[in-house]
Amino acid sequence: MTTVPGQLIWEMVKKNNCFLVKQFGRGNAKVQFSKESNNLYNLNSFKHSGLANSKTVTIQPGVKDQSVVLATTKTKKQNKPSSLLHKSSMRKEFSRMAKAVSNQVADNHYRPDLKKAALARLSVVHKSLKVAKSGAKKRNRQSVRTPCRK
Amino acid sequence: MAAARPLVTVQSLEGDMATDATPTVALPDVMKASIRPDIVNFVHSNISKNSRQPYAVSKKAGHQTSAESWGTGRAVSRIPRVPGGGTHRAGQGAFGNMCRGGRMFAPTKIWRRWHRKINVNQKRYAIVSAIAASAIPSLVMARGHKIETVPEMPLVVSDSAEGVEKTSAALKVLKQIGAYTDSEKAKDSQAIRPGKGKARNRRYISRKGPLIVYSTEGAKLVKAFRNIPGVEVANVERLNLLKLAPGGHLGRFVIWTKSAFEKLDSIYGTFEKGSEKKNAYVLPRAKMVNADLARIINSDEVQSVVRPIKKEVKRAPMKKNPLKNLNTMLRLNPYAKTARRMSLLAEAQRVKAKKEKLDKKRKPVTKEEAMAIKAAGKAWYQTMISDSDYTEFENFSKWLGVSQ
Repeated sequence: MTTVPGQLIWEMVKKNNCFLVKQFGRGNAKVQFSKESNNLYNLNSFKHSGLANSKTVTIQPGVKDQSVVLATTKTKKQNKPSSLLHKSSMRKEFSRMAKAVSNQVADNHYRPDLKKAALARLSVVHKSLKVAKSGAKKRNRQSVRTPCRK
Repeated sequence: MAAARPLVTVQSLEGDMATDATPTVALPDVMKASIRPDIVNFVHSNISKNSRQPYAVSKKAGHQTSAESWGTGRAVSRIPRVPGGGTHRAGQGAFGNMCRGGRMFAPTKIWRRWHRKINVNQKRYAIVSAIAASAIPSLVMARGHKIETVPEMPLVVSDSAEGVEKTSAALKVLKQIGAYTDSEKAKDSQAIRPGKGKARNRRYISRKGPLIVYSTEGAKLVKAFRNIPGVEVANVERLNLLKLAPGGHLGRFVIWTKSAFEKLDSIYGTFEKGSEKKNAYVLPRAKMVNADLARIINSDEVQSVVRPIKKEVKRAPMKKNPLKNLNTMLRLNPYAKTARRMSLLAEAQRVKAKKEKLDKKRKPVTKEEAMAIKAAGKAWYQTMISDSDYTEFENFSKWLGVSQ
């Protein structure tokens, strides 16, 4: 199957695609985000783009109980979307997950440039999955409505 | 281009005759044609103008009155005014675009240039580009199609899909080939159009789903698929850019039936021979054989001739002020050291001397010294008196108040 090089795809896709978020800032101060799941920093750039790169890394919260899904794309299945991803669901403690991520991303020379981004994303995803401990009561910050007296 | 033509598997449907080998078809050369979003966008914007209907305001609007200007001298503006009396309209301005009830400025006419001629080669280039882009998963995803469950791009289904008669069966087909999520997306997106279009027979809007391309004329699948939200159906012979690249954006999700897919080579031709259906048409060739920029940059051929990376950084040395920095001064003026030392010594000397002097002054005088000073003063006075003989001058004694 012909594979179109990433640079060419990036030129076609960088200014307009369905994942692009252009609403922040303008001119010099603008920042453009991108919503692909395989964009680790969610930034609209060639390096982080999930559309234009044949090797991408996905780190997302998993479907069930606090797992983190780590997925990398297979370079030889570029035109087979359903079998594109190497998925693994991780439910270990953080340091071991971090080890696994850096193994999968950088240590095997897959995308060494994305190591920092992958670890950062893992950290944030992991943090977001934390459940508040039971027992501790949340303070009610809203004003309590008292029934009016008549 | 690649010597061996890459193969695309044909997705078999339920109820197909089971064969040992998975059926495959060769990838048509259209799908390897160069992709030019600029041409697609240009052609699309022009083609989409060809289905417009002329509109204009009524020719007579604003001119159905016999208004005449009152001329000068009546202290009103010279705009034509409606004649007569007995009604409010009388005496009001007419005709002008600034008048109530007047005609609009430059009233629209039906003889506007509504349609556009597009060069046929350009149109074909755009279609070919759009077909090629529909085979690339990244571009299809970038258009917003949900193709995560699709087994392969380009998506080719076996010919039994053309015989599907019922919409329920059609839905089943879409589910089998993983294209149902995209049609679901279109269904979920159905909404009422914002704006005036609601009143102009364009009430509902929705995203586009897959485009199904078939080959046999009058195939049953047209009626089976056409009511599924988002799904559109087209014949290979009559592919339309408005369907292949809606909005001028490349990468429509296209589902080909096997026979339609096989026809592509004869319709658009290959890189070796021209098209059979289109007169004297050959596919546009890519300007670059290899557009993989990273591969070119990192190739030995390029890397062997480029200048090596400048590793050491040359910085301009910092300019130091010799008046503030002694070392720099010494470099410029070797005598400065001696001069400085001498000035320092002299300064120390001066300070020491002053201190001694002050100390001496501040010390209280001892008795003997005081006596000595007094004695010296007295002695001096005596000598002064004896030395000077004022007796001869009366005046002096008078001044001094000495009475003799």
